[in-house]
Amino acid sequence: MIEKLRNDVAHAKENVQQAIDLAHKIQPKINAVVTFVDPSEQLAHLDEVKNGLMAGVPIALKDNVNTKGIRTTASSKILDNYVPVYNAHIVDLLKKQGAIYIAKASMDELAMGGSNLTAYTGPVANPWDTTRMSGGSSGGSAALVASGVVPFAIGSDTGDSVRKPAAFCGVVGVKPTYGRISRYGIIPYASSLDHVGYFTRNVKDACIGLEVLAGRDDRDMTSSNKEVPAFSSLLNASLKGKKIGIIKNVTDAIKNEATSKAFNELITKMKNEGAEIQEIEFDNALLRAILPTYYMIANCEATANHSNLDGIRFGEQEMGDSTEEVMINSRTKGFGLQVRKRFITGSYGLFVENQEKLFRKAQRVRRLIVEAMQKALQDVDCLIAPASSTIAPKIKGEKIDELMDEYLVAENFMVMGNFSGYPSMTLPMGFDQGCPLGVNITCKAFDEETMFNLGAGIENCTGLHDLVAEVE
Amino acid sequence: MEYDVVIGIEIHCELNTNSKMFSSSPTTFGKLANSCVNEIDLAHPGTLPCVNKGAVEQAIKACTALHLEIDPVVKFDRKNYYYSDLPKGFQITQQFFPIGKEGHIEIETSLGKKKIRINRIHMEEDTAKQFHLTEGTLIDFNRAGTPLIEIVSEPDMTNGEEAAAYVEALRQTLYYLGVSDVKMEEGSMRCDVNISLMPKGSTVYGVKNEIKNLNSISNVQKAIDYEIERQAKILDEGGIIEQATRRFDEATKSTILMRLKEGNVDYKFFPEPNIVPIRLEDAWIKSIQANLPELPEQRRARYQRDYQLSAYDINVFLANKELAEIYEEVMKTCKNAKLACNWMITDVLAWLGKNNVQIPDLKMKPEDLATMVNMIENGDISGKQAKEVFEDVMLGKNPNQIVEEKGLKQVSDTSMLESLINEVLDEQPQSIEDYRNGKDRAVGFLVGQVMKKSKGQANPAMTNKMIVEELNKRIK
Repeated sequence: MIEKLRNDVAHAKENVQQAIDLAHKIQPKINAVVTFVDPSEQLAHLDEVKNGLMAGVPIALKDNVNTKGIRTTASSKILDNYVPVYNAHIVDLLKKQGAIYIAKASMDELAMGGSNLTAYTGPVANPWDTTRMSGGSSGGSAALVASGVVPFAIGSDTGDSVRKPAAFCGVVGVKPTYGRISRYGIIPYASSLDHVGYFTRNVKDACIGLEVLAGRDDRDMTSSNKEVPAFSSLLNASLKGKKIGIIKNVTDAIKNEATSKAFNELITKMKNEGAEIQEIEFDNALLRAILPTYYMIANCEATANHSNLDGIRFGEQEMGDSTEEVMINSRTKGFGLQVRKRFITGSYGLFVENQEKLFRKAQRVRRLIVEAMQKALQDVDCLIAPASSTIAPKIKGEKIDELMDEYLVAENFMVMGNFSGYPSMTLPMGFDQGCPLGVNITCKAFDEETMFNLGAGIENCTGLHDLVAEVE
Repeated sequence: MEYDVVIGIEIHCELNTNSKMFSSSPTTFGKLANSCVNEIDLAHPGTLPCVNKGAVEQAIKACTALHLEIDPVVKFDRKNYYYSDLPKGFQITQQFFPIGKEGHIEIETSLGKKKIRINRIHMEEDTAKQFHLTEGTLIDFNRAGTPLIEIVSEPDMTNGEEAAAYVEALRQTLYYLGVSDVKMEEGSMRCDVNISLMPKGSTVYGVKNEIKNLNSISNVQKAIDYEIERQAKILDEGGIIEQATRRFDEATKSTILMRLKEGNVDYKFFPEPNIVPIRLEDAWIKSIQANLPELPEQRRARYQRDYQLSAYDINVFLANKELAEIYEEVMKTCKNAKLACNWMITDVLAWLGKNNVQIPDLKMKPEDLATMVNMIENGDISGKQAKEVFEDVMLGKNPNQIVEEKGLKQVSDTSMLESLINEVLDEQPQSIEDYRNGKDRAVGFLVGQVMKKSKGQANPAMTNKMIVEELNKRIK
């Protein structure tokens, strides 16, 4: 898709306009956009970057990606009026390759959530079935790619926030290795878990995406100096001799027959293509600990990360008689319930009397889980499992039992990719009730090349690529 | 009752760096408010810290000079609290692994020399400056993010004099290192003093009070002297000291209560996730340590060895680094170290004060002052003439030229002096008689006559010597 559009850079203006028109048309139904961006200035400078990898390609940015001079809210009321004074590093990279961003996409408030129901502008609907959720927190970006508005959209992934909505929306969702892509200018959730990720509709485009985004940025001390391979030209879909490890704990926990059936069919096809399949079983207690461990680390980091949102220097300001009152009033009015809850959890976990048994303990459990992953990946090229036990839940859904393995393990195992920083991606693997199901693979650190090759192999097996949902 | 006084000092010192601790914006003092800030200093969403290598280098210098053990793995932590002068809502500091630990510095007081132990030195960032006005609060973020080191002493000091000597010794050391400009009045070095009293001989510390933000070394001493008296009075009367934060009031020379401490604030310290631990290369640390500038104690030893100056003279130079540097220039071509030293620390300093000139603006060339001192040493000009020459040397004039222009050159030519002396002796036969009769006063009179005849240019010492010789010849 990206190649086709960049080869048609002569018609960039028309292509971009087409994307904007479609985004406007479906906005009342899916509500994926927070801010529409007038592309005329970017188009005016397109000539300077007409040979770029994304020349003239319309894209969308999650609304936690800072864009100089263009409102960036992170779907939070406290940043409703925030206009950044600088570009995120990846925005500069994308512009350099000629990408034209046309929209800032909705997300869970401050990326805290997996449903996109907590956005200040309201829920995002799934393009395949508008009574269902898009998933989150990068729900707006996923929905814009799935509905055919843009072939590429930036998301961020702190605990599966790209890979889960990708599964629900039937697109490819990539979270590369921690450090591959600079986080400078991305409004954070939890620094040690945050990854810049993105959505495409096929694996080839995913390769191009990482070629554009990856590389060292001196402004992000956690970004890597590792060389960035030319993923798209190296792409090799052959599964012959590839060692695939099925996460048995996840497949065991899934009760939904359609999901199991689609997954088993995929595995059979992969085997037929020459892949060597084995089952890997983790200590289930470790996997059941993923969610509480994640909540503790993420929320402890988040409560500090967002202490800058105080109404003093930028953002929505609620007046008071002292600077302290301004801060209290701005924060009280500016945050939604979910965010405040998480701040309280995080703050509690950092108290000096709790920190050892909560935050520090969570960090130790995180290390145990990463060690287990490392060990598992010694013998295989990737770990594989369905990305979710079901298709996207209903927006007005029923309460689920959060202590069952079906939720605790099957819906949260992808967080392991955030704990370890290992590259992980989700692809479509089938349909149930007209809605997509996804499969997830996770590879060794900085081995995105293998991940993309396996992804291409899976794509061949399923035949599911370039899916577009027609929003009704 | 008698008490043992326990004093510990925390010093915050702004580091001499071009840019801030975690951002690339400049660190200049006295610029227009909020003109030296970028998105990182203002903690805009999405910004990330990047450690300033120059600041780490300065911290290593300080640790080395103060004999601290350096941790080769640099780690940072977040100190969380909400305040409008703290943009991020947390300060990045080194709570768990300071860059340096366990060092010391030597001080000298009226009681002699003493080692004060230093517990730790850690790096952190400064806050913004707030101005509370009746119509509201103004915040200047220029200072936000400025690199700091905090130097924490052990509670090794027992009185105001020791505390002042400690701060002065640190100030001098950091200044010589070039680590900081240590201007207490501008806040680039800030001093918090913890002080408690306990009955003499006790091993159980009393309740401490902290005196915040002392802005001069003399105030450190004054505040402590006052605080010792205040706490002793309360204890003598059977009262209880409450743990509190106080400030020193210059007008009343007393400490004033700011707030009582009710339990410790929980800053929820945790490791900064955006800065991965940085392993410092051993060779880099060593190269910094090998290239430290000369420290005050090293300079003292050198001045004793090379110039044989007195302790008093050396102290004057140590306290005035720029003056000492001019002196060293002078000594490159000057023969008499003591004489040059006297001119520097009395005449030059007095001239600077009288004319209100700062050393960097001085026009005097060190080699000219050296020439002048050499002229005195050689007997080319008298001490009195030198005073006249000095005034012009300070304005940048060459002493040879001055002497020429003003005709100040001393007559040291023996044949010329001889004829003058004989002329005078021939005119004063009575003086020869007086000398024969043992009246030594006659010599002084005759010297005066020669000086008069030479219009003050005769070399007095030579004249004296030659008159005595000539007199002895004549009375034979």
